[in-house]
Amino acid sequence: MDPILLTVITNRLEGVTREMGAGMLRSSRSPIFAENKDFVTAVFDRRLRLVAQTAYIPVLMGASPFAVKSVSDHFGDDVEPGDVMILNDPYRGNNHAPDISVLKPVFYEGRLRFWVLSRGHHADIGGGGAAGRNPHAATAWEEGLRIPPAKLYRGGAYNRDVWEIILLNVRLRSSVEGDLQCQVGACNVGEKSLEQMLERYGCDSVEGAMEEMLDRSEAQMRERIAAVPDGVYHASRQLDHVLEDVPGGRPAIRVRLEVEGEDLRFDFAGSDPQIPVYYNSSYANTVSSCYIGLFSTIAADVGVNEGCMRPVAVLAPEGSLVNPREGAPTTQCTVATCATIVEAVWMALSQAVPERVQAGWARTNAGAGTALNRRTGRPAAFILHFAKGGGGATQGFDGWNHISPVSSMGGSRVPDPELYELTFPHRILNYELRPDSAGAGKWRGGYGALFSLRFNEDGSALSVQIGSGAEETAPFGLAGGSSAAAGTVRVHSESGEALEFHRAAMHHPRGGDVAEIRSAGGGGYGDPCERLVEAVLDDVAADLLSPENARLQYGVVVDPETGAADMEATRRLRQARRSEDPASGR
Amino acid sequence: MVGVDVGGTFIDLMVSGNGQRLLRKTLSDPDDLAGALLAGLGLVADELDLTLDELLERTERIIHGSTIATNALLTRNGARTALLTTAGFRDVLNMRRGMRSDLYDPKQAPPQPLVPRQRIHPVAERVDSQGMVLEALDEGSVNRAVAGLRRAEVESVAVGFVFAFANDSHERAVASRLRNALPDVHVSLSSEVLPEVRLYERLSTTAVNAYVTPVLADYLESIERRLADNGFRGRLLVMQSSGGVMGLEPAARFGVRSILSGPAAGPVAGLWYAGLHGISNAITADMGGTSFDVCLADRGEVEVTKETEISGHRIALPMVAVHTIGAGGGSVVTVDDRGLLQVGPESAGSTPGPVCYGRGGVRPTVTDADLLVGYLSAERFWGGRLRLDEAAAREAFRRQVAEPLGMDMVRAAYGAHQVVNANMVDAIREVSVRRGHDPRGFVLVAAGGAGPIHACAIARELEIGLILVPREASVMCAAGQLLSDLRHDFVRSCVMSLDRLDRDTVEGHFRDLRRAAVEALLAEGVPRHRIAVSCAADMRYVGQFSEVEVPVPETALTEAAVARLAGDFHRIHESLNGYSMPDAAAEIVNLRVVGRGLADTEPMSARNGSPATALTGRRRAFFEDGFREVPVYDGHLLTSGEDVAGPAIVEQETTTVVVTPEYRLTCDAYGNYLVYLNERGLAESLARVKTGQAEAQGT
Repeated sequence: MDPILLTVITNRLEGVTREMGAGMLRSSRSPIFAENKDFVTAVFDRRLRLVAQTAYIPVLMGASPFAVKSVSDHFGDDVEPGDVMILNDPYRGNNHAPDISVLKPVFYEGRLRFWVLSRGHHADIGGGGAAGRNPHAATAWEEGLRIPPAKLYRGGAYNRDVWEIILLNVRLRSSVEGDLQCQVGACNVGEKSLEQMLERYGCDSVEGAMEEMLDRSEAQMRERIAAVPDGVYHASRQLDHVLEDVPGGRPAIRVRLEVEGEDLRFDFAGSDPQIPVYYNSSYANTVSSCYIGLFSTIAADVGVNEGCMRPVAVLAPEGSLVNPREGAPTTQCTVATCATIVEAVWMALSQAVPERVQAGWARTNAGAGTALNRRTGRPAAFILHFAKGGGGATQGFDGWNHISPVSSMGGSRVPDPELYELTFPHRILNYELRPDSAGAGKWRGGYGALFSLRFNEDGSALSVQIGSGAEETAPFGLAGGSSAAAGTVRVHSESGEALEFHRAAMHHPRGGDVAEIRSAGGGGYGDPCERLVEAVLDDVAADLLSPENARLQYGVVVDPETGAADMEATRRLRQARRSEDPASGR
Repeated sequence: MVGVDVGGTFIDLMVSGNGQRLLRKTLSDPDDLAGALLAGLGLVADELDLTLDELLERTERIIHGSTIATNALLTRNGARTALLTTAGFRDVLNMRRGMRSDLYDPKQAPPQPLVPRQRIHPVAERVDSQGMVLEALDEGSVNRAVAGLRRAEVESVAVGFVFAFANDSHERAVASRLRNALPDVHVSLSSEVLPEVRLYERLSTTAVNAYVTPVLADYLESIERRLADNGFRGRLLVMQSSGGVMGLEPAARFGVRSILSGPAAGPVAGLWYAGLHGISNAITADMGGTSFDVCLADRGEVEVTKETEISGHRIALPMVAVHTIGAGGGSVVTVDDRGLLQVGPESAGSTPGPVCYGRGGVRPTVTDADLLVGYLSAERFWGGRLRLDEAAAREAFRRQVAEPLGMDMVRAAYGAHQVVNANMVDAIREVSVRRGHDPRGFVLVAAGGAGPIHACAIARELEIGLILVPREASVMCAAGQLLSDLRHDFVRSCVMSLDRLDRDTVEGHFRDLRRAAVEALLAEGVPRHRIAVSCAADMRYVGQFSEVEVPVPETALTEAAVARLAGDFHRIHESLNGYSMPDAAAEIVNLRVVGRGLADTEPMSARNGSPATALTGRRRAFFEDGFREVPVYDGHLLTSGEDVAGPAIVEQETTTVVVTPEYRLTCDAYGNYLVYLNERGLAESLARVKTGQAEAQGT
C-alpha cells in the first residue's frame, strides 16, 4: 500500500463527512442541529464498516453502525441508486426515537460502494410529551412515532406516502420537514464527493486504502489498551430518577471492566432491569457511551472507525436498563443514561489508570417544553440548555466551568438568551455561574450555573429533568478530591409557593411562575489541602467561593475584609487536617 | 501612495506612483515598530534617490496594515480591561456558550478569560426585547462599579447590557458617567461596537475591542506624530479585517475592526490582479512559512464571514473569510503512530526553520522536501542570500521519514509534497465546494513565498484550469492595501417576518444607516462621487438559527421589491445548502449597510522586457513518475507574451513557480504569470473561467 495515497484517502474520507455536516450546521430549522450541533455524519464501506465520521456530539459516535446494518438487512437486494432511507426505531438499530437516521447507498460503475449516513435530533417526534420528551411515557409507543427502515426516496423519486405519515404525526411539521430535507441534502453532498473520489483514485485503490486504514486504527487502539494494566475493575452508578413504587429506589448501572492484553471488555451483567420510564438505554446507545468513557481517557487522538472498535466488546444483558426488550421507553438515554454509563466506566478505569481519568461531570438538568412563539403565533419547542454544569477535574487540570455534559463533551452550544426572549413569552432573570458549586480538590471541578426563567403568561408546558440531583448522583471526586454540589430544580409561584422536583415530570407553569435551575459543579481531583493558596484566593476574589468554604473545603483562612490569606493560620489548619486523616483531605 | 504591512518579523512596503511600483521587505522590530517602519521608509527613499522627508512630502496616502491588535490578543498584552454588564448575567462572557473545541482530550486547561470575574461588575438595569425599559439604571450599582474600577486600576472598560442593541440609553448613561469619573480610561459600548442580537457574541466582540484598542491607538498616535515630524501631510489610513480601510478616528476607537488587517488585504489584491484579465471569480491562496490562507471572491465580492474566533475569543464583526490551515514551507513532516505520513500543522517557522536553512532546524519540513525534489535551488534561494544545505535535508528525510515508511528518500520527499498539497486542496474545497461554489469556475491566485511552488499540483487536483501568480506574490498583502476601498460596516437588528414586513420601518433603518455611512466617508475626505453604499439583509426561514446575507439593491421597498428579495433568498439558500423551501415563511434578522470610498488604483505599467533569453539552465526535478531534466528560467527576463511549456521552473528573487507537465506558463503585460492547462490553451482557459462566472450569474 502506497503510504501517501493512504494518507490522502484517509483525510479525504473525513473531509467528506465534514462537507456533509457543513450544510446541516448552516441551514437547520431546529436549534438542535444548528445551535446544539446534535448530529453526526458518517461514511460506511460496502461491507457496512464505519470508515469515517464527524460526530459533533460524541454520544452519537458509536451508535451509527447499528443503523446502517439494520437498513441494509431490511432491504437486502432492494437497494438502488437514488434511494434514501429513514429509520428512528431504537429496536431496529437506532439509538433513541428523536434521533432520526437518514441513509443513502452510493453506487459507482453500477455497484454499491458506500453508505452515507446523517443522524440528528429532531425537535418533535410526536407522542404525548413536549419537545419530544414525555416523562410519563411507560412504553415506546407513548414516546412518539416509531419509524422502521423505510424509503424517503425510491430510485430518486419522492416517496410521498412515507413523508406524509411522518409529518402528519408531529406537531412541529415545518421544523421536522426542514430538518429531514437538511439531512437528505447532507447525504446527497456525501454521495457526490465519494463519487468524485472514486473517479479520481479508482475503486481498487480506495478499497485497499480503507482496509489498511482500518487495520492501522485497530493496531493503534490495541497499543493503547495494552498500556492499561490488566485486571478486572468494578463500578456502579445510579440514575437520578427515583422509582415511585420502589422505596428509595434509584436504578443502578453496574459495569465489570476486563482488561486483558490488547483486548478490553465492558460487561454490564448485574445492572438493574429495564424500567417503565424513559431512561432505558438501547444497546447502540450503551455501546456509544462506553466509547465516550474510553476515548476520553486513553484514546483521544485515535481516529474513530470500525478498526478501532475491534478490540472492544460490550456485553449488556437483555431486559436490563442498558439493553431493554422491545417496547421500553428510551428518550432520555442519550443524555441521562449516557452520563451514568460514562461515570461508571470512568470509575472503573480510575482503578487502572487513575492519572488519565476525569472526576465526574455534572449531568444535565435542562428542562424542555413548548410555548407560543411570539413572532409566528405558533407553538414552538424550547430546550433550556442554558444551565450547563461543571466539568470534572483530572490530574494536573481544573474542570471547565459551565460546559455541556459528557454526552457532548463540550461540543454542544448554549442557546442565545436574547434570541430566546425574542421568541418565547418568557424572561430570563438570572444566568450566571453558581458560587460554591465546584467539587474541591488539588485541582477543583468546574463551577455549575444557575438559571431562572419567568413565565410571562399561562400556556407553556415544561418537561422537567433532574441531573446530578442527589448525594448519590452528584459528580464524584477522585484521588481525594470532593464530589460537587448537587443540582436542583424548583418552580416558585407569584404567591410564594415553591415546588421542588426530584424526578422527571411534566409541569404547566402559570404566568408569573419562576423556574429556577441550579446545575451541579464538577468533581474535584486530589487533596484540596494541596491546592495552591493563590488559586483558592482567586476564586474567593471572584465571589465564586465563600471565605467559609475556603476554610472548610481547602483549609485556607481568608480575611473577609481584605481578601488576603492568613498564611500562618492556613498552614496550621492544613497541618491539623493531614494528621487527622492522612488518607483524605476532607 | 504607500502600502505597509507591519508584522512582527518583517515589514512589507510598497510604494506606487507615476505608473511605477517599488517593493521592499525589511526587518521589523517588535520593540519599536514605528521606528522600524520609518527606517524601512528611509530605505525606500534611498532607492528612489530621495530623502525620507522628500518621499513623505510627496506621499498622499499611507495605508497601514498590521498585526498589532492581533498580537496584543495572542500574546495577552492588551489593556487591563473590565466589563460592566446587566446584573444576573455576570458570566455570559466567560461561559462561552458552554463549548470547547477539542472534545475528548482529558488534559485540557480551561481558557484564561480576557476579563476575569473580579473585574466584571454587575449593574442593575434591564431592557426587554423590544427596547422597553423594565428596570431603570441603578445609580448605586454604577457607583459601586466605578469604585471597583478605580481600585483595580483598569485601563479600559467594556459596557455590554442585555438588549442594548434595541435601546442603548443605559449604556450611554454609563459611558458619560465613566468619562467624567475616569477620563483616561478607554470605554467601549456594545451598542457601538456591534449593535446586533446575540449576547455572548456582542459582549465578546466588545471586550476584545476594549482590550486591543488602547494598544493600537497608542501606536497610531506615535506613528502619526513621527510621520508628521518627517514631513508627511497626507492621510494615514488603517486596513480593516473586512477588507476595506478606515480613517484614524474610527481606528483609534474600534481597534477590533483591524484585528486581521494583514491577511485581509490579500484577497482584495487577488481580485484586483484577476480583474486585469476581466475575471471576477478568484480563489486567493497564500502559502507562507507557517500557514496557508485561502479566500474566495465570487463575482467581484470577497467572501466575508461573521464567524471568526481568534485564540478562543469570538469576534462577530464581518471579516474577510480567510480560511487558514497549518500548511507552509516550515510545516513539519512526521510519521504518526499509525505509520501515516503527516504534514503540519506544527511549523518550524523561520527560526529554527527548515533543516536546509542550516539555522539549527532538525525536523524535516515542506521546504526541505521542495529542495530534495528539485523545485528549489540550493544556490539561488532568496536571490542567493541563503545557501541551502541539501545534504542535511536529505539526511533528515531519510532518517525521520523514508526509513520509518520503508520508502526511497526522494519518494518520501515527493510524498510530503503530495500530502501537504492534499491538505491545501481540502482547504480550498472548504471555501468552495462546501459553500456551494465549483472551483473549476475560478482562477487560482497563488501568492506567498511557497504558494507558486505548489499551485499547479493543487490546481490539477481541483481541475482548475487557470492560475495567476502576481509579480508581487511574496508581498501581496502590502500590495492589497493600496488597492482597498475605504469601508464602513453598519448593522441594525430588526427581526421581522417577510410576509408581515413593516416596509416603512425597514426603509427608515436603511435610510439612517446609509446616511451614517455617507457622513463617515465624507468626514474622512472622500468626495461624494467616489462613495458607494450597498444594503443587505440577513435572512432565514422562520425557525432557522443561521442567516443568509441577501443583497437589497432597491431603496424603495415596494411589494415587488420584497418579492424579489424573497426569491433571492430562496436562490442563495439553495446554492449554499443544497435545498430551498419556497413555500416556507422567511424572515429578516439584521439589516446591513456597507459604505465604500472607492480607491483610485493606478493601472500598472507594462513590464520592460529584455529580449535576452531568460533560460538560465536546466536541473533535475521530480514529477509523478520520476526525475526529469527541466529548463529553469529567470522570471525577470521573461517578456510579455513569452510562453514556457511545463515541466519547467521559473525563478524570481523571492518566488519560484513550478510548472508541472500538464500546464504552460506565460507572462502577461504587467509582469504577472498566467499558468494554464496545456491541452486547453490560454484563450480557452480564460474563457472557461469567464463562462463559469456567467453561469453563476444566471442561476
